[in-house]
Amino acid sequence: MKVIKRLVLGTALTALAAPVLADETWGDFPGYTLRVKLIGGAQYEPLYAEIPKWEAATGAKVEILSRKNHFELDREIKQDIAAGTLDWCVGSNHTSFAPQYGDIYADLNGLIKPEVIAEFVPLVIQHGTVNGRLVQLPRHSDVSNLFYQKSLYEDPAKQAAFKEKYGYDLAPPETWDQVKDQAIFFAAPPDFYGFQYVGKDEAVTGRFYELLVANGGAMFDDKWNPTFNSPEGVAALQFFVDLYNAKAVPAGVPNYLWDDTGLGFASGTVAMDLDWGGWSAFFNDPANSKVAGNVGLIRAPKGASGKRTGWSGSHSFSITETCDNKDAAASFVTFLTDYDNQMVEARKGLLPTRSQVWTDAIAEFEASGNTFNAEVMKTFQTSMAEDAFTPPLIPEWIEVSNVLWPKLQAAIVGDMTAQAALDAAAAEAATVMHDAGYN
Amino acid sequence: MIRALRTRRVETAPFLLLTPALITMLFVVAVPLVFSLWASLTPYQLTKPATLWRFIGLENYRRALSDSAFWIVFGRTILFLTIALNVELLLGLGIALLINRITWGQRTLRTIMMFPMMFSPILVGFQFKFLFNDNIGIVNNALQSLGLTDQAIPWLVDARLAMFSITLAEVWMSTSVFAILLLAGLFAMPRDPVEAAKVDGCNAWQVFRHITLPFLMPFAYIAMAIRSLDVARAYDIVAVMTDGGPAGRTELLWTVIARVGYENAKMGQANAIAFISTLLSILFTWHFYRKLVAARRYMGGAT
Repeated sequence: MKVIKRLVLGTALTALAAPVLADETWGDFPGYTLRVKLIGGAQYEPLYAEIPKWEAATGAKVEILSRKNHFELDREIKQDIAAGTLDWCVGSNHTSFAPQYGDIYADLNGLIKPEVIAEFVPLVIQHGTVNGRLVQLPRHSDVSNLFYQKSLYEDPAKQAAFKEKYGYDLAPPETWDQVKDQAIFFAAPPDFYGFQYVGKDEAVTGRFYELLVANGGAMFDDKWNPTFNSPEGVAALQFFVDLYNAKAVPAGVPNYLWDDTGLGFASGTVAMDLDWGGWSAFFNDPANSKVAGNVGLIRAPKGASGKRTGWSGSHSFSITETCDNKDAAASFVTFLTDYDNQMVEARKGLLPTRSQVWTDAIAEFEASGNTFNAEVMKTFQTSMAEDAFTPPLIPEWIEVSNVLWPKLQAAIVGDMTAQAALDAAAAEAATVMHDAGYN
Repeated sequence: MIRALRTRRVETAPFLLLTPALITMLFVVAVPLVFSLWASLTPYQLTKPATLWRFIGLENYRRALSDSAFWIVFGRTILFLTIALNVELLLGLGIALLINRITWGQRTLRTIMMFPMMFSPILVGFQFKFLFNDNIGIVNNALQSLGLTDQAIPWLVDARLAMFSITLAEVWMSTSVFAILLLAGLFAMPRDPVEAAKVDGCNAWQVFRHITLPFLMPFAYIAMAIRSLDVARAYDIVAVMTDGGPAGRTELLWTVIARVGYENAKMGQANAIAFISTLLSILFTWHFYRKLVAARRYMGGAT
């Protein structure tokens, strides 16, 4: 039955996709060599195996100058700007990085067909726009969602004990207050922890930022004065401090980045994990994960304002202003983010940016009986549409983050109070903004 | 006339022959040095190349030197260098003495000893980061399984433990440099003074203290000088294990330079801090060179 279903759906999807392929022409660029700098890494590489199709269709060649992780690529691009060696056409980009590159990237409105741009999720296109210019075509997106161990919530003994202690039913949390209750309830250190969070670099800034927004606060006012040391900000930071003091999170969280939280949740020693969709396949794979088959996923919880946490960013492609053949470059980035290639990436667990790919990938997972992946995609689809927001799209974001995160850590490890830490960070951030000419 | 021309040609020949090397040195050393010195006197931002041409004098240096956080980082870097180099020297000396004594499998052991040097510092950083992970790290798991603790020890969070963990990773990676140089010294050491001392009734400790150790000290100071310049490689280890955190507890000059220069793109400010860091390296090298000269003089060698 499943096989028939799969065949029928596959045929239907092919029929749907066929006109897209037939209508799309990639242009003719015989003998041209397109020089590109792309993000590298196991999960990003399968897309590059499709590049020969574009080369065959256009007669052009693609020369990949770099295949590095985003942070190394960011350094390289900054060096290129400094040295005046932007002699390449297409570069991988990211929502958080894009604003700092100034005007090196071309406005894709006008280079990419409007009907192509219209096929992307509108909010994601909005996130790729800096100062009114669409400087990046999103490849795949991510947004915070909450993974949890289902068995913990299905245990009658735990349900009863929780109800008795907190006065409400044990269920996957809807609010950050519930996350705190449940994290403390589940924690049994050093063997088991209720929650965890990334604790350094821009990662912890982002986590603080989304709780700040969920509480109704903001990083800056409308004149770009830092306002994250508001009562909402203090409450957001206090959440991290309280969980740390209660030993509801691992003692090492101030040094955790994404690998640490992902591997920690997969090790089965953490009840809840606010993380990215890209981890879902890993978490549900018995070869890698002790919680495989026991993974639940919900939208990120709500803060005091009723808004959900939804820090989001997209991997994307940009075209340099100095590119000697912008048409070829536009054709290439359109190809890399087209329907077929986004389906290739969606099947690998990456979250697509084209509306139709969301729908069809979910249908494909359901037809093949992969209910977990279908649920993951549905949850993230809702989050991307309703909860997602980016960091402030200003060039100074990373620098502000670099003055903020050490102070967040200082509060978490008990060197400063939450208010003092945020006040100190706000003063330093104000200097950064002043130096940049804002006030 | 012809003779005079020939003489002049002979006189200029060495300079002509040296020209390629001088030009190479100029481009590889002098130009970057002068460029970075100039950049340190400007508000140069990588993403705004025009800022390279705005002279602001010593403002970057003033900002760094008037910041108390900078001096804390400066002091921590000196402490880290001092502890790491001395521990590496002691362990390297111990390893060299042990290997020098064995008569079988010495070559194999020398090769094994060099393994840590072959790892890139980034890999060493990741390796120790996961060893010391408080939740899934092997160190805590071993300690808990052996019943030595029922706590998750925050190796990379506690101020002292975090610096200890980073120093351990650095020592693990670089002790073999000392061991190899000191082993070379032991191989080169003449046997006559040792045997004469034994005939005169010196015990093993006295032979080591008064003959072996003074002979090895020039080798030790050479290793110290090399490592004091090379220890900035530890940047990768720190960046991976803690990135200077938490709350600046493991911040060293190199992590500050990298963050300011590349993440914040403020290369002018980073260059000013880097020049202060370079002065620190020169100070260490000068100190060890003086010690080397003194040690060689003590042994009756050239000064």
